[in-house]
Amino acid sequence: MNTIYTSKYFAASQCDNSRRFYIDFGHKTVKFSLCQLLAFRHRLKSIDIEQHLNGENTHGLEVVSLCNREHLFVFNTLEILDLLSLVDGAFAMMEINSVIA
Amino acid sequence: MKDLVRQNLLIHVDILDLLNKQIKQEAQSSAAYLAMASWCDHNGLVYSAEFFYEQSTEEREHMMKIFHFINDNGGTTYSPEVSNINHDFASLEEIFETALDQEIAITKSIHNIIYECRNKRDLTTENFLQWYVKEQMEEEQTMRRALELFDLINTENVGLRFLDERIKEIREEANPE
Ligand SMILES: [Fe+2]
Ligand SMILES: [Fe+2]
Repeated sequence: MNTIYTSKYFAASQCDNSRRFYIDFGHKTVKFSLCQLLAFRHRLKSIDIEQHLNGENTHGLEVVSLCNREHLFVFNTLEILDLLSLVDGAFAMMEINSVIA
Repeated sequence: MKDLVRQNLLIHVDILDLLNKQIKQEAQSSAAYLAMASWCDHNGLVYSAEFFYEQSTEEREHMMKIFHFINDNGGTTYSPEVSNINHDFASLEEIFETALDQEIAITKSIHNIIYECRNKRDLTTENFLQWYVKEQMEEEQTMRRALELFDLINTENVGLRFLDERIKEIREEANPE
């Protein structure tokens, strides 16, 4: 297992043998195919974070289902921001890895 | 460490985002043309209505072409949400001017993605998008040709019907095949 990127709360890694990605959410580690990871990235990027900051999203929570509803997570504002930096960081690191490989 | 992204996906991830935005724009454009077709139909401009119905279908085809390109190459696509479609127009001339503006915006968007492809060295997507560069040139030509008719023909009374009949010719003139 290779660590790709670690954010404040979460960590992304990949397994070369199974060709899968893993995100460690602290209490649980979830396996992703690239398609599922892209779908997760899209879901995170479609979150209107403004609503968290201007009070429109009163509870400050997002319900996110992963991998075709295999998993269900509830994230708060800080976790969403951290996850965004996790996916951006992970894809950036993988791009660097691909350039030097 | 294996390059798992590249193993699964031929398109650069950032370009994938831009292509999904383009899918949305083509869908928006298809819906906008449908509204224009409806306006023409209601106002008895049958040839213009037919032109915009066909235009609407073409835009959906443009959308589907990108959709399949992404899915065939390991990416993920998102069925677009379309909203805020304008149905109010003051004249047929306004409709064609709006159509030209819309095509120009799409041309710019396509060119912008190609510049990004070059930045990210995504030559496959650039090559795929070259078809759209030519297509957009033809689309702009068609809309300009329609607008030229308004300069040539006095559209008061029977003139508008006469102009409407000429609309069926603009596509063939712009794209001789
Ligand atoms: Fe188009
Ligand atoms: Fe078009």
